[in-house]
Amino acid sequence: MTAPSPAPAEAPARVPLDRRLARAAQTVTSRALGPYQTAIVRIGFSLTWLFFLLREYPHRHEMYGPDGPWSFELARRLIADNRAFTVLMWSDGRLWFEVVYALAVVAAALLLVGWHTRAVSVVFMVGALSLQNRSVFLGDGGDNVVHLVSIYLTLLRCGQVWSLDARRAARRVPRDAGGGKAARRVELAGPVLWIVLGGFLVAATWFSPVTGEWWMYVLLWVLWLAQGLWWLVEQYAPAEPRVLLDVIANLAHNAVLVVLMAEVCLIYATAGWYKIQGSRWQDGTALFFPLHLDYFTPWPSLSELLASSGIMVMLLSYGTVIVQVAFPFTLFNRKVKNVLLVAMMLEHAGIALLLGLPAFSMAMIAADAVFLPTVFLVWLGARVARGRDLLLRRRPAAAELPAQRPAGEPTGTAGAEDGGTGGEAGGEAAPRTLVG
Amino acid sequence: MSAHIDDGGERRPAAGILALSMPYQVVAAVTLAALAVLAALHLAMVFLHVAPSNTITKQHGQAVDDWIYPEFEQNWKLFAPNPLQQNVAVEVRAEVADPSGTRRTTGWIDLTAQDVEDVRGSVFPSHTEQNMLRRAIDWYGNAHDDEGRPKGFRGRLSEEYMRRIVLPRIEGPGARADVGGTVERIQLRRVARPVPAPHWSDEKRSTTPSTTVMPWWDITDADRSRTETSR
Repeated sequence: MTAPSPAPAEAPARVPLDRRLARAAQTVTSRALGPYQTAIVRIGFSLTWLFFLLREYPHRHEMYGPDGPWSFELARRLIADNRAFTVLMWSDGRLWFEVVYALAVVAAALLLVGWHTRAVSVVFMVGALSLQNRSVFLGDGGDNVVHLVSIYLTLLRCGQVWSLDARRAARRVPRDAGGGKAARRVELAGPVLWIVLGGFLVAATWFSPVTGEWWMYVLLWVLWLAQGLWWLVEQYAPAEPRVLLDVIANLAHNAVLVVLMAEVCLIYATAGWYKIQGSRWQDGTALFFPLHLDYFTPWPSLSELLASSGIMVMLLSYGTVIVQVAFPFTLFNRKVKNVLLVAMMLEHAGIALLLGLPAFSMAMIAADAVFLPTVFLVWLGARVARGRDLLLRRRPAAAELPAQRPAGEPTGTAGAEDGGTGGEAGGEAAPRTLVG
Repeated sequence: MSAHIDDGGERRPAAGILALSMPYQVVAAVTLAALAVLAALHLAMVFLHVAPSNTITKQHGQAVDDWIYPEFEQNWKLFAPNPLQQNVAVEVRAEVADPSGTRRTTGWIDLTAQDVEDVRGSVFPSHTEQNMLRRAIDWYGNAHDDEGRPKGFRGRLSEEYMRRIVLPRIEGPGARADVGGTVERIQLRRVARPVPAPHWSDEKRSTTPSTTVMPWWDITDADRSRTETSR
């Protein structure tokens, strides 16, 4: 567990890791590591899922609705067997379905801008799991990553930067100095959200015989109770108990961050190592075949062009395998890791267009982003903020910017746009900072 | 959150385990140990789930499955060990009762061609075009044995799912390929067309399609998408 965790910590400090146990324990208990990395993962996945839900909005009934091909009754029979968690099994009503779909969209948008991130991340997970588990035979690799990461996100402190939460926290500091009346009023949203989600949780528990495994309910209750406890402790016991809660939250965050990073490594390792065993990857023709599958050729002439050169197909096929197999090992070398990261992100961008898998590619790029260096992310954040100011013809808040950088994105729509350009800029602009 | 923490404050840390007194430190240490074990266990389970069948999974496969399914299931053998090298098409023909009462059998209708047409030129293909039928026929194949008999209840679920995908595409005025009448029975066939060998390679590859014909299925109200019986 200690081996991979220093990676994000190393980035800002640039100090060789002191290996003494006490120091390590202090590190993992005092800080939620990788604030920028976890924030970009949050933004990337919420944006991916939001795009997906909006794109599929016209098809939502056919995909997840009670009268779709995978009907409520078929789903009921399968879920009675596999125990997957989906609130869509609570009722076969059309209204309930619309409510759940709408909540999934809203949760994705709110997670994107980081509004009450801890609570919203749980709603995001419930939304994603509910829709995906309702129709399991509809998804692809992209859905699979979103599914896994949505669970992990509930335990990550992924709103430390680039979120409305961070902006609120930054504002609270001066306010606290001059009396906190206004602050009190604003923070009513938290308790109200908590009570609403509590009611939802009671309903969920009521329906637990229908859907979901026991640990899912334990997770939901623990998260909900922890939120309540956190609030109580902040009000009435701000000293040591508050520090302890912070320690526990940091530990959960850091453990899940390690899991998330290892998960990404496992994805590439599995993809790469199984490919090595394939004759087509060995003889260098592998890429030719996906370029001729009807379902994955939205632009046949483009695919044909790429497939027309045997050398090109061979180089790309071999390159894919080499990068995928090598990636986990390059984590021990910062520079090589960054070069490979750029290569993988570019490859996924290519897959998005060429194979017609934009959601999958976006999800994979968002997962890769957990390995981006902090310097690059900070630079990217500043650039996006500048772009936003230019776009909104706002006077750049020059004096504020350095201190307030964590509070990056101000409003809902601007946040969405920022996230979008941010993701694209990551791909193309990355080499300049990372290698050049 | 942790924004107020001063990194340089080594002597009197404001946060972390060193900022706590003894009893609190014990709680923190126990949490640390528990989470470390849980994370390591989870990663081990995920690793065993994605790894090839091996000594451990042969002995403790059930424990791994119990941990992984349903929420942590994953499959990253994308285009591995070999990419798919054939285009699979689902075709259907139907026995239709006309309003006049006569009965006729349609020709084969290529449903996959409808999907392919939708995917062409699309920046963001819908799952309904790219995944639904493709994955359904894939699952159907996995849920049936070589003689085409359903394996358990999942096999029967996959048949019902196929019928409910197919029917709205061929019956009724909103259907993509309306057969004009009430569908009484349908028959599916799966046609696999191998992708020809690259022109720059001297490899000889048979491009003869292989066809699997499925039995005729009676259509009931349960197979109809906008079923009135459930309302």
